[in-house]
Amino acid sequence: MTAHASPHARRKPEIWSSLFSQSRSPWLLPSVFCLLVLLALVVWPLFALFHQSALDPQTGHFSMEGFRQFFGTPRYTTAFSNTVILGIASTLGTLLLGAPLAYVVARYDFPGKTLVALLPLATIILPDIVVSQAWLMLLGNNGIARHALESVGIDLPSFYGWFGMIYTLILNDYTYVYIGMLAALKAIDGSIEEAAVNLGASNFRRALTVTFPVLAPALLLNAMIVFTLAVDNFSIPMILGGRIDVLSSLTYTTFLSEMGGSPIMQSVLAVVSVVLVGCVLFVQKRVVERKTYQMYQGRAPQAIKTRGLSSVLLTGWAVLFVAFSMIPAVIVIIGAFTKARGPVMRYGTWTLENMERALRTAPEPIINSLLLASVAAIAGTCFATVASYLIVKKRIWTVSVLDYVVMLPLAISGTVLGIALIQTYNSGMIILTGTWVIMAAALFVRKVPFSIRSASASLYSIPDSIEEASINLGVSPIASFFKVVLPVMKPAILGAAILMWVTSLAEISATIVLYYGGMETMPIQMFRQIDAGYLARASAYGVILMIVIIVPIYLAVRFLKLDLFSSR
Amino acid sequence: MARITIENVTKRYGDATIIDKLSLSIEHGEFFTLLGPSGCGKTTLLRMIAGFIIPEEGRLLLDDEDITRLPPHKRETGMVFQDYALFPDKTVFDNVAYGLRVRRFTSKQIQEKVSQMLERVGLGHLPTRYPGELSGGQRQRVALARALVIEPRVLLMDEPLSNLDAKLRIQMRDVIRQLQQESRITAIFVTHDQEEALSMSDRIALLRQGTIDQLDTPEGLYARPGTSYAADFIGAANLVKVLAQETRGDSLLIDIPGGRISIAAPTPGPDACLAARPEHIAMHDDGEQPDRIPAQVVFRRYLGFKATYALQLADGSGVNVDVPASDDPSYLPGAQVFLSFSRACRLVAT
Repeated sequence: MTAHASPHARRKPEIWSSLFSQSRSPWLLPSVFCLLVLLALVVWPLFALFHQSALDPQTGHFSMEGFRQFFGTPRYTTAFSNTVILGIASTLGTLLLGAPLAYVVARYDFPGKTLVALLPLATIILPDIVVSQAWLMLLGNNGIARHALESVGIDLPSFYGWFGMIYTLILNDYTYVYIGMLAALKAIDGSIEEAAVNLGASNFRRALTVTFPVLAPALLLNAMIVFTLAVDNFSIPMILGGRIDVLSSLTYTTFLSEMGGSPIMQSVLAVVSVVLVGCVLFVQKRVVERKTYQMYQGRAPQAIKTRGLSSVLLTGWAVLFVAFSMIPAVIVIIGAFTKARGPVMRYGTWTLENMERALRTAPEPIINSLLLASVAAIAGTCFATVASYLIVKKRIWTVSVLDYVVMLPLAISGTVLGIALIQTYNSGMIILTGTWVIMAAALFVRKVPFSIRSASASLYSIPDSIEEASINLGVSPIASFFKVVLPVMKPAILGAAILMWVTSLAEISATIVLYYGGMETMPIQMFRQIDAGYLARASAYGVILMIVIIVPIYLAVRFLKLDLFSSR
Repeated sequence: MARITIENVTKRYGDATIIDKLSLSIEHGEFFTLLGPSGCGKTTLLRMIAGFIIPEEGRLLLDDEDITRLPPHKRETGMVFQDYALFPDKTVFDNVAYGLRVRRFTSKQIQEKVSQMLERVGLGHLPTRYPGELSGGQRQRVALARALVIEPRVLLMDEPLSNLDAKLRIQMRDVIRQLQQESRITAIFVTHDQEEALSMSDRIALLRQGTIDQLDTPEGLYARPGTSYAADFIGAANLVKVLAQETRGDSLLIDIPGGRISIAAPTPGPDACLAARPEHIAMHDDGEQPDRIPAQVVFRRYLGFKATYALQLADGSGVNVDVPASDDPSYLPGAQVFLSFSRACRLVAT
């Protein structure tokens, strides 16, 4: 019926004409509560950051001095252009690695293809701090692989700087492109390709004129995701950047040097990075989402079985990918059990000392990590459940606002969020700086958009009518949500909770700004040990970090039969 | 069992008026159908009775109680949704028991009522199945059982048969009608399918852009459509232009393109047209007798039990004529024929 089948035609006038009647909606209160949480943790800190960046350091009046200094100082402008270059380079690299791999996996059958299924897992179980450390141990100045190659006469360029950053970023992020493109390829209706061939196109022409244009929006979308990940990344430029500054590392070092002083330049740098990521997200929303094609549900094209040489080559290729993605795990495990004297690793001699130290002498980082991740995951999951439900199902004006605000954190990189939270909550009525609450809050803000996304995906497939059926049978709207909608959402919520937990464990870029003595998390402790050259100690925490990430994922997949990778 | 009164109800979405000052009264135990094409407001009206939509103006009365602003979960209506809206995580038994648990029946009572209800809809053997394991018809029966088991004051059904295949749809009509008769419950049924409406209802309200075009029994609606809209929507009558009309005794003489015909006389309207159902027109080879109008065959459609002909009148306007297969003259396209109109044809307002 017109009244129900065409929500788009009437949404706008409806919102305004029935503002009054909406004030009776039982969901008004929860939506206002959600908005207040985000207002306190995202909007207000962001506002404070922008405000701070436009102040004069001496007088405290409004001034563009900070920005003038930014654009007038080569160190700052270089960091900006470096960030863009790093983003573009790693984006191109991830596309070149990830997209062809996805195409091959979607369209060809070859021995060992199931191995490739491990790849999405690698991104989740290998925090980027572990990846950067492992490649440092292999290719750094004292790297095992570097020495091995030198002994056969191959001299690698220095790993610190562009080489190390781009190389590690590409290996760390190409799986996102792979996962995204694989999903896009599987969504293609095979009959459009058959139509092209039926109309006389060769296979090559078909790929060029039909398959590629349909995939282009997804390709662009994934490119932008990888670009924002590169801008956001903290540990890779910090550990491997050498003398090359990028926004995230420079923001952090500026933050450290301005400690106690006036926080102008860190705010300026943070604002610049917000604007940069914000622009990318804006383009993504405007251009990419509008260009996405409506695909009729169809069957994906059948994978072609390969034989002979080509199957050997494809298998080799896939094995290479999996090997390179899994190498960091192996290296860190080796490092954790290798004897070390100070920074010198004695490869080939084994010990339990490092693990014992991490588990017995200095277990605080483990406890802190688990505590913070649990708090963030529990709070975040409750929030994401309610917020995604409101966004998908309830069209009241507070929810329309919420819909925009929940995705705001995506434009804020971790370091920036940390600085914004510190500046907001180090004085005034609520002082949270120097408490674990602010660290948990940062994890919450960083991860909740992803949880909302995966919870929303499950909600779209739940028809509104089951809720109405429950109300019709005499259950109040709020109670109906708990009795009818929540049980159906349960698998998606559990999946979101586990993902939120494991990604919170791996998080470093916001918490590094917010932690205080005694509240180091495992990634922070790893970063400090790596910085001090104690790679074996760092490896020990790396191994424990991987274990606490793998175990819940394994349990979820094995016993709850959760599909954790579908909505990422 | 309840009587429903709708008084001057209006619902707008922005500039679009979905329900326009509509009044209606539905009697105890009546099977009442809201019929109309998509966009006529029938589902909006049904959801208003269920309480999911609140009208801007007007009142809704259940018996003598004003329920216009009563929240939907307090209305004691049982609704069957178009997509059945079964709870996917609950078994057939738990789906049906849902409303009873809310009403705090003892588990013994619930066991008894649910089993009885499932027996009545023919699903006594499947209480432990999940909705995903049922066929479309079985899901439909669960939805009916769930709505009926709480003994609601009104049973509301929103195009419940539209997701079923043709055969099942006809079978479920009887199931629904029988269940309604047994429980003597007031039922409101929304559909766009005229055959469903005619075969199941005590009375039908034919809706048109948020207002009632005609409110009548199935027989009355079919035999005496008041407007060209009603004549066309139900039974797809031919609407033929009227050039002149004249009352003579109990007959009405009408000039249509190609000649003059005579039908039983109601009161003629000012800008009326002739509604002639396809089965109320006969084809003849010769035009000797009076009242026969020349026409040309455009094409013939063979449907097994009958054939229908598309013909053209003198002014080029088209009419459809039905012939039982046994009497099919098998005219070829281009054949010249003569049409006679039954006296049951009527003048309707355009």
